[in-house]
Amino acid sequence: MGRWRYLPLLVPIVGLAEFGAQFFFSRRAPTHDQWTEVRALVASWYEAGDLVVIAPHWAEPMARWSFGDSLMPLRDVARPDATRYAKALEVSIVGSRSPELAGWRLLRETKQGRFTLRALANPRPPVIAYDFVDHLDPNSADVRLERGTTPSVCSFTTSAPVEGGGLGGPPIFPASRFTCPGEPSHVFVGVTIIDDEKFLARRCIWSHPPGANGAIVTRFRGVPLGAKLHGHAGMGWLIERDRAVPPFAIRILVAGVEVGNVVHEPGDGWKSFELPLGAASGSQGDVEFHVSSAGAGTHVCFEVDSR
Amino acid sequence: MTSRATRFHFADHALGLALAALYLAILVKTAPAIGYARDEGFYFRAASSYADWYELLWRDPAAAAQRSVVDAHWSNNHEHPGLVKSLFGLSWNLLYRKWHLFAEEGTSFRFGGMCFAAAGLWLIYLWGARARSRTAGFVGAMLFALMPRIFYHAHLDCFDVPIAVMWTFCAYTYWRSLKTPGLAWAIVTGIAFGLALNTKHNSWFLPPALLVHAVIAGRARIARGLARGRIRIPLALWGMACIGPFVFFALWPWIWFDTVERLTAYAKFHLNHDYYNMVFLGETYWKPPMPRGYVWLMTAATVPIITLVLFLIGAVSRARAHLVPLWDRSARAPHDSAQTDLLWAIGLGVQYAPWILSTNTPIFGGTKHWFTAYPFLCLFAGAGFDVVAAKLRALLEGGRLARVPGELVEVVLGAAVFAAPLAETIHSHPWGLSNYTPLVGGAPGAASLGLNRQFWGFTTGAVTEWLNQHVAPGQSVYIHDTAGDSWDMLHRDGRLLPHVQAAWSVQSSTFALYHHEEHMETIEYQIWTSYETSAPVHIGAYDGVPIIYVYSKPNQMLR
Repeated sequence: MGRWRYLPLLVPIVGLAEFGAQFFFSRRAPTHDQWTEVRALVASWYEAGDLVVIAPHWAEPMARWSFGDSLMPLRDVARPDATRYAKALEVSIVGSRSPELAGWRLLRETKQGRFTLRALANPRPPVIAYDFVDHLDPNSADVRLERGTTPSVCSFTTSAPVEGGGLGGPPIFPASRFTCPGEPSHVFVGVTIIDDEKFLARRCIWSHPPGANGAIVTRFRGVPLGAKLHGHAGMGWLIERDRAVPPFAIRILVAGVEVGNVVHEPGDGWKSFELPLGAASGSQGDVEFHVSSAGAGTHVCFEVDSR
Repeated sequence: MTSRATRFHFADHALGLALAALYLAILVKTAPAIGYARDEGFYFRAASSYADWYELLWRDPAAAAQRSVVDAHWSNNHEHPGLVKSLFGLSWNLLYRKWHLFAEEGTSFRFGGMCFAAAGLWLIYLWGARARSRTAGFVGAMLFALMPRIFYHAHLDCFDVPIAVMWTFCAYTYWRSLKTPGLAWAIVTGIAFGLALNTKHNSWFLPPALLVHAVIAGRARIARGLARGRIRIPLALWGMACIGPFVFFALWPWIWFDTVERLTAYAKFHLNHDYYNMVFLGETYWKPPMPRGYVWLMTAATVPIITLVLFLIGAVSRARAHLVPLWDRSARAPHDSAQTDLLWAIGLGVQYAPWILSTNTPIFGGTKHWFTAYPFLCLFAGAGFDVVAAKLRALLEGGRLARVPGELVEVVLGAAVFAAPLAETIHSHPWGLSNYTPLVGGAPGAASLGLNRQFWGFTTGAVTEWLNQHVAPGQSVYIHDTAGDSWDMLHRDGRLLPHVQAAWSVQSSTFALYHHEEHMETIEYQIWTSYETSAPVHIGAYDGVPIIYVYSKPNQMLR
């Protein structure tokens, strides 16, 4: 038998070790009060335009609760991706790092209690010349339906009934949106939020086509153009994951010239695209997004910037 | 039976009953802290309807037996059989409505379910004590009681703990029939099977499981019988076949009419059940194939580690006792006419088989799907405790601590073994489904791994106090995954103030709840769009992990 006879002692040891581990792990993640305490530190590092990222992602609601919209505005929380930001503040707990910021350069780092705060720089920060989502208003854009020979204008309102929603349903139709007369309420252009294939929030321009025989066109006027258009499109994961709805296409015209046709098949998720602007870069011009689908039932939401 | 044996059995029952009574008291005391799960709401409604029918049956049996009356009362929630909901309803009707023994209606419904959990401890203790030792029975019962997931589900007016207990009860009566041949236990087994059939469809696995056991355990006898042209299977199985269906039929009035059609519909409902969403390791599954590792990891992540360790020791030591004589002629196999270890192993294995053998079996209910395995797991764990205690006693006997009484070894070992399950179970309350063991780093570790934090919307109970304080008259709350009947019960219990009213859409609400489940994130984003903020005003968090969030329309939080 030898030393093996002592093996049964492992059982009470395992029991007591589990007892200790239970207390350790139940106190490992910070409480609301601790999140509130660290806010001052984060705020002291924060500069306008910074992105606050929480690692691990599951802890982000605790941060949103404690930090509020001023440090974590909805626009940043539901970002299309992190590439547009020059600097990020990573608030890390339980030793976690954000995969979204992998490869970013560490500017500074400190620890406070259970938190590690890092300032990180984007190694290739773009200059965003224009964010189309931010400019979806009548001062910058107009919307029309193209079906048959005569286009019809969709008018902007800030007091449309807030509709939609529900599990497996469309996203919320916001009060501020371009509504199209004579069309069902889901045929509109407005800013909403969808879920991507990782169930992350994506703020985007809802642009529901009017069925198989037409397109909904959004025109942005006098857009300052960078070297390319960088964007994403999706349907909302719960809608497209069964691959049971028709695909959609976004034909993009700059100053009347087509620069790309983004085709989205159901199941593609939150798919990115980049369209070089060639000779148009550095100029100013109208940009049009012609959204159409092969049939009814699809959802369309996209975001684009010019960089 | 000798008087000594009688005393022995009386003491066993007394201890089992004491365990059951203590557990029941704890469950009743702790129940009001747990919000009402979705399914509970549906069963409140069904149970009330059944209770009214029993009232009528008491007053006017002929009227109660009319088809129109039966259909009117029993059509509600007829996708599940009637026994357990009948008990919920009777408990509510008698203990709350008539005798006013409960202050809360919800607890009075739940009491029926809690009784099953308590009886389960009694049963596990008895079986362990009879088959192995009192210590093994006691340890098995305690480890079952101190599984955080069992503790949560034991509170609910749902079927998952009741079927775990009824399944085990039927297997136990069958085992008793093998130990004490005769008609009595065969009849009891038949009745137990009928009650199990009337509890939940997991009971469909009982006949094949027990038949397999009977064939393996009695293969020589069966072979001899077949040689003479006779089928010799245990009387209890005949009892199940002859009595079980009648008990099932008698106690579920819904199938008194259009029996074949309604039973077919019942079977089809479960055989073709919808797939709901369930996250596992960061991926949400909503259709087959389901992940092969689900049952393994979820069992390991939610059953206390020490319980699993003892189970492994018990199972391996029992297997070893049976297998070693196959190659070592000096070793003797344990003589057990009832083949208890085999029965426990089948009882355990048959519950896990649907997920091990098929990737089509739904996983949306998490661990509750295989709760029926846990009594057997704990019985083996009790046997494992005996093995360890014996080894430790032997270790002490050979050393300086030879004078330490053996009982003290068991007490100290018991304290070391129960400490973690007890701490985990206490700490899990009232979050239940959000709890994970240290094996995966507790709740934060499970969140990092991408394991489910909750389902059924029961965590509304964690924010009722906050809502009472902050929702002003005229304002309303979008209740997300809370079923309407569950929300209603919070009002009837007085846990929600009357003015805290539900809204049925985000846009029509002033406050909004969000019960975090990955596939429901879209609901949270709908709240953000509607309220134009992504900052919650309150979060119900468990060990720092956000579980249920409360949002408010900007500038609407008046209190």
